[in-house]
Amino acid sequence: MTENGKTPSPSLIGASVPQVTARAKVTGAAQYVADMKMAGMLHAKILRSPYPHARIVGIDTSRARVVKGVRLVVTGEDVPERRWGVIKKDQHILARDKVRFVGQEVAAVVAIDENTAIDALELIHVEYEQLPAVFDPASALEPGAPEIHDGTGNLAWEVRIDRGDVEAGFKRAAAVYEATYDMPYQYPGYMEPMGTIAAPDGSGRLTIWAPVQSIFSARARLCDALDLSPSKIRVIQTVTGGGFGGKVTEDSNTVIAGFLALKARRPVRLINNRLEDFLSAHSSVPARVWLKMGLAKDGEILAKESSIIADNGAYTGLATSVTYVTAMRTDSMHRLQNVRTHARLAYTNKIPSGAFRGMGLQQMAFPLNSHIAMLAEMIGMDPVDVHLRNAIRTGETSVHGWHMGSVGLSECLIRARDGIGWKDKYQRRQSQGARRRGVGIGAAIHVSGNRARDDWEGASVIVRVNEDGRIVLITGESDIGQGSQTVLSQICAHELGIPIDHVTVAAPDTDSAPFSIGSISSRVTTVAGNAAIRASRLAREKLLAVVSQKLEVASADLVIEDGFIHVVGARDHGMSIADAARHHIFRSGGEGIYAHATFDAPSVVPDKNFYGNVSTAYSFAATAVEVEVDTQTGQVRIVDSLAVDDCGKALNPLAVHGQTNGATAQGIAWALYEKLEFQDGQLINGNFADYTLPTADSLPHLRSGIVESNDPNGPYGAKGASETAVAPPAGAIANAIYDAIGIRFNTLPIKPEDVLKALQNQGASGKSNA
Amino acid sequence: MRDFAFLEPTSVDDACRMLATEGDEARLYAGGTALLLAMRQRLSIPSAVVYLGNVPGLDLIEFDETRGLRIGALARHADIAAHPAIRARYPFLAKMAEQVANPQIRNMGTLGGNLCYGDPSTDPPTCLLSLNATVTLRGPDGERVLKLEDFYVDYFVTALEQAEILIQVHVPPPAPDLVGAYIRFLKTPAEHRPLLGVGVTARYDQGFCRDVSIAIGASVRIPMRARTAEKFLEGNRVTAETLAECGAIAAAEINPLSDFAGSADYRQQIAQVIVRRAAARAFGIDMD
Amino acid sequence: MEKHSIDVIVNGDDYTLEVPARRLLADFLRDDLGLTGTKRGCETGICGACTVSVDGKAVKSCIMLAIQARDKQVLTIEGLSDRDGKLHPLQQSFIERGGLQCGFCTPGFIMTAYVFLAQVPSPREEDIRAALTGNLCRCTGYVGIVESILAAAEKMSGS
Repeated sequence: MTENGKTPSPSLIGASVPQVTARAKVTGAAQYVADMKMAGMLHAKILRSPYPHARIVGIDTSRARVVKGVRLVVTGEDVPERRWGVIKKDQHILARDKVRFVGQEVAAVVAIDENTAIDALELIHVEYEQLPAVFDPASALEPGAPEIHDGTGNLAWEVRIDRGDVEAGFKRAAAVYEATYDMPYQYPGYMEPMGTIAAPDGSGRLTIWAPVQSIFSARARLCDALDLSPSKIRVIQTVTGGGFGGKVTEDSNTVIAGFLALKARRPVRLINNRLEDFLSAHSSVPARVWLKMGLAKDGEILAKESSIIADNGAYTGLATSVTYVTAMRTDSMHRLQNVRTHARLAYTNKIPSGAFRGMGLQQMAFPLNSHIAMLAEMIGMDPVDVHLRNAIRTGETSVHGWHMGSVGLSECLIRARDGIGWKDKYQRRQSQGARRRGVGIGAAIHVSGNRARDDWEGASVIVRVNEDGRIVLITGESDIGQGSQTVLSQICAHELGIPIDHVTVAAPDTDSAPFSIGSISSRVTTVAGNAAIRASRLAREKLLAVVSQKLEVASADLVIEDGFIHVVGARDHGMSIADAARHHIFRSGGEGIYAHATFDAPSVVPDKNFYGNVSTAYSFAATAVEVEVDTQTGQVRIVDSLAVDDCGKALNPLAVHGQTNGATAQGIAWALYEKLEFQDGQLINGNFADYTLPTADSLPHLRSGIVESNDPNGPYGAKGASETAVAPPAGAIANAIYDAIGIRFNTLPIKPEDVLKALQNQGASGKSNA
Repeated sequence: MRDFAFLEPTSVDDACRMLATEGDEARLYAGGTALLLAMRQRLSIPSAVVYLGNVPGLDLIEFDETRGLRIGALARHADIAAHPAIRARYPFLAKMAEQVANPQIRNMGTLGGNLCYGDPSTDPPTCLLSLNATVTLRGPDGERVLKLEDFYVDYFVTALEQAEILIQVHVPPPAPDLVGAYIRFLKTPAEHRPLLGVGVTARYDQGFCRDVSIAIGASVRIPMRARTAEKFLEGNRVTAETLAECGAIAAAEINPLSDFAGSADYRQQIAQVIVRRAAARAFGIDMD
Repeated sequence: MEKHSIDVIVNGDDYTLEVPARRLLADFLRDDLGLTGTKRGCETGICGACTVSVDGKAVKSCIMLAIQARDKQVLTIEGLSDRDGKLHPLQQSFIERGGLQCGFCTPGFIMTAYVFLAQVPSPREEDIRAALTGNLCRCTGYVGIVESILAAAEKMSGS
């Protein structure tokens, strides 16, 4: 069933409505977790392991305990023996017996203020016995490698998928190309470091305030770690300063804070500083991807085979799901028949990796988009034409069983190509002095929600009508900055015929919000949007019923305009929503209007071979870039970037452009600027001076376009718009550099030093591959 | 950050006395932009901080055609960038100051603090070195003047003695035919610190180079003059070829740092290019 | 722990407080005065979320001691709108032009832009981008921020 039956009004659906939270944000009134204070609140700080792999021989906390102002000191001996983890249960709240990465939490101090806690941390003495460590995932999987978790062989997860006949495909191919690509950790880099305030409520329950992407996942994880039942924990989402996957459910901050509050029997505040956040956020999954593809003479992709070794780090967050996405997601962008992949996720003695915007999509999009450019050249075709030749179409089902309700991929590709000036620039090798220019393109597919093992990919929304006619919309879906509160408000106001500022979205709270999955997989607009339509229409029916009864007219003859319910064609014959809401309550047998509705996506849980239509709808994006390479320094400058996003109906173009530009910036940065650097397992650039997020002057004026291939399952046709655009830039940039200087780079980030070295090798040997 | 005694002298002599009294554990505090970062991470744990903010007159910038440019130690980078005489007579110095760190830091950080911190990954020392700057140090035993080149001893080590304070930077008056350029080389535009800095000054005398000064910083332990390259260029005619050779000679003179930000090899290659480009910019030659 | 007395004017209000030497200006504003619009986002003076104006200059309040603000005029995001709550044109354009998403960096960007526009009332886009290098945003790719500042500059110089 779809909710697509109503003509969108021009006023709110499709309008560039500013964020409903914007005023609080520009005045400094918005309260993030670090801004909150609670009576009796204590402050916690964490002692972390200096070694990548070591046995804890003993911990002496006696000197820390006697520091004035210290209230609690705990170590691994104090935490539950049971292990927690989102998917695999492989970690303790604080390290017991062993540490497995530099930065792992070993002890905690709770004190009257942060400085006192840090003063005390310095007095804790930990004796370690160092163990052999392994940092490279491929080496970790070799026999004889130091084993990080007993009995695992360092293999955290593995998947094989084989469809069609890959060998036959390669045999028929006019061109076959294979290469190996290396991609690093990318730190989510949300501006608000992770933090938590945890407080026991005095009756055996624990309340958590934290910026989380999913309140119910956060609660489940706390239950798991603290051995409490769900009803003993209440999670409230605070205003969230960005997430990008890093605040989904993997971080240890909230778990540790909850544990400390229970132990201290006081409210405890645990705010990461930036250095700590680099160590404890799960950055994106580093991957080495070997890819082989074969093309027919006419550009048809005949076979794709890949082998993936991904780096889990020392503990498992969502890297298993990420690796699964890397293994298969891009396959559904094209009309493939023959695909085979083998993906392995290895434990290493480094920081844990996990969910990051794109969820593993980019780790295959970079190889794939690079490959298509190379294969296109081999058969003498334009790479855009190769994409277009293979692009999946509306109504088709992909090799993995994904049913395409709407596809705007070809239009994305064509608009990105034409917008960058491809015709005049591709293969022109334009140069000015030492600088050469080139263009490149990349494309990607993404989901709008992803049905997982638990077989519920739904969302529920409650629309409550207050007695002044204003609405409180209650949902468990998190606004992490992307603007989901705004989109849900738009939908509700549109359906009820009221101004948007008559809608308030309540802060997600596990005690009052309907069960929800949260802000993951670009699902909120699509899934919760549909629920919001249903709940709003239900509330509308209840309001109209009151008026119908009072005025003795049929509900069908009533409309709502600007918050006033009246008879069609008779603007003064009716009553305000406020009056109707009051009449609904203040009558014998009355009640407040409280409309609850659920939408569960028409998707299925994939079968044991990972086949099945996993999502409500599929989004697409194509990004074209023009780069300039300084052949004397190896520097690469992005001259122009145009990302075109097929997000179905753009419910709020201002928000969609914002998502596309933000995702593009992250994608460009992954290709050129960002990489966590390690030395013997120690993160050596875990700060913003050395780990360089893009600055305003390091990006061009990013351009973004929207393709509206309205989806039958989306609310008014909308699909997810938050993640797709993060994936194409890396391939587009590598392709553009190749176009400029004829050298192919397969390792990210593409560093000036490597570019210069390759140029010199090219000069020396005349070869064109780095 | 550990707590510390905060001392507020009102004269340079007071400050020297306080430093002498407090000993090794005391640190001089000007803008604080570098020191405070280290203190917050407990990399520096001074027992006392001697704050210069209440010492009057230390932030003066004065220019005089015969005596040259004098910049007080507490002058902010933003003040240097905006100073009319510096913009008119040493435009590349103003331009350099306009690019140090980021706008907020330029409003907070002082030239003296920058020079004394001894961090190689910054711009002012290299630019001033190419301008033959000197520094005036005052200590308990009086004042002394050092060439900036002699002020830098080693990685994060300067010639400052115990209780000595850098109070002023002096740049000789500009020759009428002075040309110069400073290039802050960022590996990528998202970087916050230069991988390399090159300053070139000279007199451009009817197509010939005179009084050439080439300074290289950020990729070396302390900023240095490329003397061999200077000698090569001295009296030479300015052509694309001579500048290219100058770059190669200069690059061969440095013993570069090597770390994750850039290998020694890369830094050396970049030095060759950037010295050439800085010289070309100084002499107004259109070349990459 | 020795305390130091400071007189300071913040958003037009005068305060006399005793603070320890190690109190950062950012913490003084946030914890002592309750002005939490000024954020702390890093420890390296890079992110700029803590930007405030001190005597008309944009500074990073997390690498400045509270004592350094003695006898100075501090303006924070809370002081930008007028006493009746009417928003500054920059605040208004950040709302309207997509100058913010998560909002955490927003007070810092607006304060940087506020001081910048006072010096350069009619900037070009490249001037704005150069002026913003001391502030990081992870959400917007800077497009909405730059457009917000351009729009505010136009509005401010037009009125």
